[in-house]
Amino acid sequence: MNTDPMQDGFTLEDILRDTLESTYIDDAYYAKLRNDMQEWEGCGTVLNNEERHAYESLILHENWLLDRRAFEKWYQLYSRECVYWVPAVGDLPDAERADPQRQVTIAFDDRRRLGDRIVWLRTGVAYSQLPPSYTSHVSTAFVRLPSENAGEVKIRSQFLIQEMRAGHEIQTFSGWMGHVFIKEDGVTKIARKVVCLLDAPRNHHNLTFLL
Amino acid sequence: MSIQTSSPHFDHLIEAGRVHRTLYTDGDIFDLEMSRIFGGTWTFLAHASELPKPNDFVRKRLGKRPVIVTRDRDGNFHGLLNRCTHRGATICRHDEGNARRFTCPYHNWSFTNTGDLAAVPIEDGYGPAFDKQELGLGKLRVESYRGFIFGTFNTELPDLKTHLGPSAALLDEWLDRWPGAELQLRRGQTKFSCAGNWKLIYDNAADGYHPGYSHASLLRMRKDRYGGGVDMQWALGNVDEGLQTVSDCGNGGTFIDQRAEIKRFWDQSAPMPGESAYERVIKEKLGDKADAALDVVMGSGMNLNIFPNLLIIGNQIQVIEPQSVNKTHINWYATALVADDLPDEVNSLRMRLQEDFPSFGEPDDLANFEECQIGLEIEEVEWVQTGRHLDTGKEYIGAKGMLSGPVSDELPLRVFWKEWLKRIEQGNLGVAK
Repeated sequence: MNTDPMQDGFTLEDILRDTLESTYIDDAYYAKLRNDMQEWEGCGTVLNNEERHAYESLILHENWLLDRRAFEKWYQLYSRECVYWVPAVGDLPDAERADPQRQVTIAFDDRRRLGDRIVWLRTGVAYSQLPPSYTSHVSTAFVRLPSENAGEVKIRSQFLIQEMRAGHEIQTFSGWMGHVFIKEDGVTKIARKVVCLLDAPRNHHNLTFLL
Repeated sequence: MSIQTSSPHFDHLIEAGRVHRTLYTDGDIFDLEMSRIFGGTWTFLAHASELPKPNDFVRKRLGKRPVIVTRDRDGNFHGLLNRCTHRGATICRHDEGNARRFTCPYHNWSFTNTGDLAAVPIEDGYGPAFDKQELGLGKLRVESYRGFIFGTFNTELPDLKTHLGPSAALLDEWLDRWPGAELQLRRGQTKFSCAGNWKLIYDNAADGYHPGYSHASLLRMRKDRYGGGVDMQWALGNVDEGLQTVSDCGNGGTFIDQRAEIKRFWDQSAPMPGESAYERVIKEKLGDKADAALDVVMGSGMNLNIFPNLLIIGNQIQVIEPQSVNKTHINWYATALVADDLPDEVNSLRMRLQEDFPSFGEPDDLANFEECQIGLEIEEVEWVQTGRHLDTGKEYIGAKGMLSGPVSDELPLRVFWKEWLKRIEQGNLGVAK
């Protein structure tokens, strides 16, 4: 892995000082997401050793950071122009309903809103996270998808997430994820992550933790 | 205290400044609510934009009843009970679609989308007394106001617009923020599940007392990230000294007006992805009219609640769907505004803005409602307080002749319970014509 996401020194203060503008979500960006949805449908190939080392490891590390509630370090895995997207619809992809430009989602965070989310989780008064959620992410079935975007690598995987909050029953979530990786300043970063929940169109009890 | 839920009398549970906890915890009371309140008054069913074309339908609930809302070939709306008159199976098993007829999958009895029984397989198996005209689907009385479709079993209620009273004019104000624009649903939903009684959600919908406290996380995050001036700052401090008001809209309807606190909607908006790019495009396209278009991206500054299940908040429509005495679904329908003179970039921003409060606001409220439900199970502490500003002399007759008060007034709770009592004691009006 050519990045060191466990490095120290990235704190909530860094996030507070990070971008306060939202400049890159535009028609071209939404068009890219629509194209992604088509590409995720492709026939994937299992990862070779090099790809496992570069990408599967990073996804597994992402899972670990989330399970450790190391949100500040997790945030560092993402590129400067990134999105964390959880559609609210099932049967993906569907040309109209999967289009976040036309549809509301469970989460559609650009870098700024991702920062907002972490700052919000860290306020200590987000009562939906008192007590906090603890999660266990399991990812498997990693495949690489062909992509027409030069310089991008697309990895699809299946996931199982269990979430436990004291006083509440354990919740289980499953589905598939798509990760789009790019190189930024020589470091592999997540540019886009889509989390497609099996039960996305159903009513959810507290999805305030990160998937 | 023991509750005789077979008795139609509940007034001993509702006092001037407090109500009894069992109203939130008693399963028998819940069952009565589902038959007498949901459907016993004009109850929101669906929005016309969910079924835009002739023969479109959507599947909904009315209390615990499965219903189908249809648009017939002439454009008229119908509310049908989703229950085959033969042996009871639901006949519609899709959330939405387009159909002139619904055919029961069990024995293929077939009904028109206006509710008539159209065909029965091997009909000669029935004798001369068999009358298809008597075996149409159960039907609601249905009326709509500006696309909002309501249904009831109650034949004694006045027409919908009269029933809505001042809420109708407030709905006009909400809809006419961009004159001529059409409100469109089918833009996705944020669907919550809450382990609490449905009334905890309605109680909160016109509660101007809680935001500075229940939404401390949102307010603190905004301040730490963006400083002052952004979104919901009016919730801080002594809100009764601010410009917000609460009002009684009649028939259980309530209203919070925040608009006087908002000088420029766009400037005071919550942050949203795409803000800079689309602001630039909208200004390029609209010039002088751009400011007005950007303002309709943001929420309306209005919380209009129509008893018992429709909450219009910001730019969204929330529908309360009770599941059981201590479980409720709250469905937030995202909305778009469509007009020839309004660029669609406005809706690209509205989608993102309508994720903000469901992400950073509503979940904390739901957590508090669930903790209310837990606390209300304690038998030894019987009462819930509803008397704030009941006797402070701060209430007055305000706009549209509505009884109004400072924003932390618990007037909306008292309005709700007055209507609740009237409807729960009216007897079961469940007549499906």
